[in-house]
Amino acid sequence: MRNPWAQTGNYRTRYEQDASIFATHRELVSLLLFLGFLLVLPQFLSRTQVFILDLILVYSIAVLGLNITTGYAGLINIGQAAFMGVGAYTAALLAPAGLPFYLVLPAAGLTGAFFGYLVGIPSLRVKHLYLAMATLAFQVVFEWTVGHLPLLNQGGAMPLPRVSLLGYEVGFRNHYHFWYYVSFAVLVLLALFFRNLLRTKYGRALVAVRDNDRAADAMGMDPGRTKLFAFALGAFYAGVAGALYAYLSRAVVIEDYTFAVSIKLLAMAIVGGLGTLVGSFLGPAFLELLDVNMEALSNLIKALGFSVAGVDVASALRPLAFGLVIVLFLVFEPRGLYNWWRVVRSYFRTWPFRY
Amino acid sequence: MSFFLQLLFSGVVLGLVYALAALGFVLIYKASRVVNFAQGQFIAIGAFLAYWAMVALGAPFLVAAALALALTALLGFGVERVFLKRMVGQPIISVIMATIGLASLLDGLIHLTPFGAGNFSYPAFLPSGGVTLLGVQVSYPQLLALGFTLAFLALFTWFFQRSTLGIAMRSVADDQMAAMSLGVSVEKVFALAWAAAGLTAAAAGIVVGTIAGLNLDGLVHIGLRVFPVVILGGLDSIPGAVVAGILIGVLENLAAGYLDPFVPGGGTRDVFPFLVLLLVLWFKPHGLFGTEEIERV
Repeated sequence: MRNPWAQTGNYRTRYEQDASIFATHRELVSLLLFLGFLLVLPQFLSRTQVFILDLILVYSIAVLGLNITTGYAGLINIGQAAFMGVGAYTAALLAPAGLPFYLVLPAAGLTGAFFGYLVGIPSLRVKHLYLAMATLAFQVVFEWTVGHLPLLNQGGAMPLPRVSLLGYEVGFRNHYHFWYYVSFAVLVLLALFFRNLLRTKYGRALVAVRDNDRAADAMGMDPGRTKLFAFALGAFYAGVAGALYAYLSRAVVIEDYTFAVSIKLLAMAIVGGLGTLVGSFLGPAFLELLDVNMEALSNLIKALGFSVAGVDVASALRPLAFGLVIVLFLVFEPRGLYNWWRVVRSYFRTWPFRY
Repeated sequence: MSFFLQLLFSGVVLGLVYALAALGFVLIYKASRVVNFAQGQFIAIGAFLAYWAMVALGAPFLVAAALALALTALLGFGVERVFLKRMVGQPIISVIMATIGLASLLDGLIHLTPFGAGNFSYPAFLPSGGVTLLGVQVSYPQLLALGFTLAFLALFTWFFQRSTLGIAMRSVADDQMAAMSLGVSVEKVFALAWAAAGLTAAAAGIVVGTIAGLNLDGLVHIGLRVFPVVILGGLDSIPGAVVAGILIGVLENLAAGYLDPFVPGGGTRDVFPFLVLLLVLWFKPHGLFGTEEIERV
C-alpha cells in the first residue's frame, strides 16, 4: 500500500488489508462526508420533504432484508410486506402498553423473524417458483387474518402514541425529523451488519446455497438451516422496517402492508440491483421519488384540464410508470442502478488518472 | 342436500372459469418456463373489450365475444414479441418481475379508460330466471357460461390432440432441442402460447362477466386465484389445470357455504384456496399431475 489515498490497482499484500471494508482512505472519507451530509440535510427541508426521505429510509431497511433472502440466498420472497406488517402490528400492540420504541423495534424484528422462519419451512422441500407461491400464500393469509381479527381492529387504523427520548418530547413539528434520525441510525446499523454478513461463514453459506445447494451440502453446509436463517434474517429487517413505518405514520392500517407493497419492495430491490448494498438505497430512492413525481405530474395534467370523464389520471399514471420502469430495467439494465454506481465509482477510484 | 348440490353446481361453474384462466397460465409455463403474473389483467382486458364491443358497437354477444377473444389473443402475441421474448432463459426472479411489471403496465392502461373504476354489466340478452335441475336453481347466464366453457375446452383439446400447430406446441413443451431439430419454430410456439393464453383469459373474463358483472379489481383478482389452481394441478399439466380448477372452485364454494357462518366477518372463500396451496406445497409440492423435478448432482 504505497499511497492510502489513491490507488490505481489492487495493492493489498497482507490478509489484514484484504479484510478491510474500504480500499482507500478516500472511500472512507467520502462515505463519512456523505453520512454527515445526510445528518444535516433534514435541517434544510420542509416537513413533507423529510417525510419522503423517511419513507425512503424505511423502505431501504425492508429492501436490505429482501436482498438477504432473495439477493443473497436466492429465495424468491413475494411476501416481504406481510413481514413488515407483522412488525407493524407488533408495534401497534406493544407501544400503547408503554414499551419505549427502542425496545419495540427489536421486538418487532424478532416477531418478524419468527414468522419468516415459519414461512421458510416449505423451502426445505421446494425451490424457486414453488417457494414464491408459498410466500404469496402467506401474504394472502396474513391480509385475511388481520382483516378478521378484532384484536387488530380488523385491518382498520390502530393508533400509536407519540414517543419521547431522554425527556425529549416528539410532537407535531419535529415528528418527521425525529423519525428521520432514528431510521437513519437503524439503517446504518443494519447496513453495516449486511455489509459484514457476506464476510462471515453464514453469509458465504447463503451465496453457496443460492448457487448450488447440493454442492453446498456436499461441502458440509446445511442448506435447510441456511435457508431458514436467510428467511428469518430477511424478515427481521422487514419487521424492524414495519415498526418504523408504523411509528412514522402513527397508525397501522392493513393497506400499507398488502401484496402491492410486496411487489413494490421487490421492484425496488431489482431496480437498485439485486443482492447489492448500495442498490438497497438507490432502488427505494428512485421508485419513491418517481411515485412523488407521478403524483405531481397527474395533478399538473388535471390542472391543465386534460381530463376525461370517469378517468382518474393519478391512478393510471402510477402503475403505468411503475410497470414501465420495471420492464425497461429488466430489458436494458438487469443489474440495476448499482451498475451505474459501479461505473461512476471506478472512474473516481483512479481519478485524476485515466487508469 | 339441495343446498349442497347448489353449492356444488355454482362451484363447478366458478371452477371452470379458473380452469380457463389456469389453462393459459400452464400453456405459457409449459412452453417457455415463464410465470405469468399478468393473467388477471388479460382477463380484465378481454372482458372489457367484449363489453365495449356490445355497448359502443352494438354487436350481438357472440360477435362481441369473438372480437374480444381475437383482440386479447393479439395483445398476448404482441406482448411476447416485444417484452417476454427477451426474458426466456433469464433467472426466474427476473421473469417473475417482468410479468409483474407487465401487469402493472396493463393496469395503468386500463385505468386510462373509463373501465378503471366502477361496476359494469353486459346488456341483458338472456331472459331472467332459469331452470331447475335436480332441485338446483340454474340461471340462464350460468347455463351459457357452462356451455361456453365446455365448448372452449373441447376446442382446445381438439387443437392440442389433432392440429399440426397444437402438436408442435406440445413437442416444444416436451423437449425444446428435439422439437427444434425436427423443424419446429420454437420462437413461433412461444408467441402462440401467449396468444392462446390471451384467448383463454378473455374467455374466462367474458364468462365471469356474464355471471357476476364486470369490476376491474374482481377480474384482476382471478389472476391471483390461478396460482392455487396451477400448484394443485401441477404447473406443467393441462389436464391438471382443468381438474384442479374445478376442484378449487368447488372447495371454495363449499367453504363459503359451510364455514362462513362460523367465521365472524365471513369471506372464507378468499383465503381457502391459498390454504390449499400451502397444504399442497407441504405435502405434495408438484401437485396432482405435475412432473416431479429430479435433480442430479
